[in-house]
Amino acid sequence: MKSSHATSKLILAGLLAIVLSSIGLSAHAADGEMSKESKACLSCHDKDGMTKTLESGEALSLAISTKAYTESMHKKTDCEDCHSNLDSKTHGKAKTAIKSKREFALGMRESCRDCHKKKAVEYDDSVHAALIKAGSKKAPLCTDCHNPHTVRSAKVVSPIAETPCAKCHEAIFKAYSKDVHGLERIAKGISAPLCAGCHQAHAVKAASMGEGVKDACLACHKEAVTQHKDWLPNTALHFEAISCPVCHAPDAQRRVNLRLYDSTAKRQVAEKTGVPRFEKRTDTADAKDMGLDERALWSLLKEFNQDGGDGKMLLRGRLEVRSGVEAHQLSEKSKAIRDCNTCHQQGAAAFQSVSLTIAGPDGRPLRHGVQNEVLNSLTSMESVRGFYAIGSTRIKLLDYLLVLVLLGAISVPLVHMTIKRLFKGVREKLEAERLAAAHDSGKQASTGHRHDADDASK
Amino acid sequence: MEKLYIHPLTVRLWHWTNAFGFLLLIATGLQIRYLDLIHLIPFRMAVVWHNWIGFVLIANFFVWLGYYLFSDKIKVYHPELSPTKYFQASFRQMQFYGYGIFRGEPNPHHPNAYKKFNALQSMLYQIIMMLLVPIMFFTGLLMWDVGRFSSIVEMLGGVRVVDTVHVLLFIVFCGFIIVHVYLASLGHTPSAHFKAMITGYEEVEDEPKHDVVS
Repeated sequence: MKSSHATSKLILAGLLAIVLSSIGLSAHAADGEMSKESKACLSCHDKDGMTKTLESGEALSLAISTKAYTESMHKKTDCEDCHSNLDSKTHGKAKTAIKSKREFALGMRESCRDCHKKKAVEYDDSVHAALIKAGSKKAPLCTDCHNPHTVRSAKVVSPIAETPCAKCHEAIFKAYSKDVHGLERIAKGISAPLCAGCHQAHAVKAASMGEGVKDACLACHKEAVTQHKDWLPNTALHFEAISCPVCHAPDAQRRVNLRLYDSTAKRQVAEKTGVPRFEKRTDTADAKDMGLDERALWSLLKEFNQDGGDGKMLLRGRLEVRSGVEAHQLSEKSKAIRDCNTCHQQGAAAFQSVSLTIAGPDGRPLRHGVQNEVLNSLTSMESVRGFYAIGSTRIKLLDYLLVLVLLGAISVPLVHMTIKRLFKGVREKLEAERLAAAHDSGKQASTGHRHDADDASK
Repeated sequence: MEKLYIHPLTVRLWHWTNAFGFLLLIATGLQIRYLDLIHLIPFRMAVVWHNWIGFVLIANFFVWLGYYLFSDKIKVYHPELSPTKYFQASFRQMQFYGYGIFRGEPNPHHPNAYKKFNALQSMLYQIIMMLLVPIMFFTGLLMWDVGRFSSIVEMLGGVRVVDTVHVLLFIVFCGFIIVHVYLASLGHTPSAHFKAMITGYEEVEDEPKHDVVS
């Protein structure tokens, strides 16, 4: 009996231990209370000005604010979850050599991947990751945008000045902060898009490639297509061939971007890594650097077609603004361009600058200038078959043909009437002869009749 | 002068709708294409009108097609199957317009309700109505909404190719209309053929002539 009582006590104690430990764990998770080890780390690191001089001479801040950390998204993450390579026996005692901040951030990137697997995959497909692969020392790593010790939820609105993209894209960010989205972001907060709202934070692509940014516009402005259909003829074509800022950034300069496009694979042609065809070919075709003319453009297209791609290479034209800064000068809807004359007449500014584009190995566009006469030439009809703006890119030869046909058609009646008038005398003479002949034959006929009558009376 | 009923009411209605429609299409087409040179109406209005008039004329085309398909008057479009006879008649007609008319000779073609076109008209109108006009309407329809018909546009070589065909035909029709109006004034009086296309009755000379077309 005694022993069974003792056994029951033991089981109860065990259960209590399990319950208490689980309560303890959940309490840790719920209130964000740090583990003993993390507290120990911060007891040293929560000091302003704590730095480590790296081999590059840079000072790496080692200071971590406990307050900021416990308010951050990583509050449930223990220090050693990321810094698992640190040995508590030697840490702080033996010096660890770190080459530079960049090298340190590159190494720490793997720690981020352990938890943020989905974001890491998106990032690997981004233009930023491609730049790093191509050897860029500036393209952002995780920690360039997210301070792991202070990172806040995306739902928490930070002042736009804290947007990490601005560190590299300063000029664009300045333009954005004054445009319709930027001003609304400042005034109303999260309702207006910040950089990642259109460009995506991790799967960011070169904005002038593909349709990504337009899709982002339409994701918020869902009624845009319907509203445009109310007044804009050929809405679908306009949406396909024109980027939104062309009309919605009315002060921007525009250009025609002729994209090399694989019609079978239905994607923009990309330069293969290590095989720099585009630059070599365009430089050869345009030795004087005057811009590709229609002949050069045609032979260039032929060369790309001979590469044996999946399908026929062709050019797809698109009207867009000339720079990223101009794409971020969006105005209020009421100021957007609605006047068709802006584009649909010969000499329109938008068609004076033309470039040929291919996707570079890092996903960014590679461009080469094209002479704007290409857009009005009959011989480039095949090359730029997919781009046509009524009026402004009309084929000049057809204008001459129209004048020629009209002159011909008008001259036919004029010449005919003139000859007819010149022949008036001849006509009158012949008519008189005909009448006389008719008269004579009439006379003869009547004489014949009379003779017949006389004969009959006899 | 004998009066022959040559142009049935349906044909006359089709003809004048077509005539005014084409003039409006040419005017709005010129405004659309030459916005930098012509300032009659705003571009957008020109495009909208051009589209609507285009649809009206497409419907009108089917009025013409339906009438002739379901009427014995289709004989006016029956081709001359003997090339010798056809070319002889065509040559005589050309000789008349290029020489005989200056000498006051009579028109070698004598119309009736089932043979109202001379050899040149018969061939030309068939090419226009069964080839050029349908191509014109079809290319116009494609350009009315390029997005909707993108696969056909792409198959035909792209929007620039489709537009070039449309504009080439526009140039042909501009020339045709001028010459057509002038030739229509070469009846026995300058207004004879125009009156006939309004009243339906064509005045023909009484004296019997050998019909060179037949």
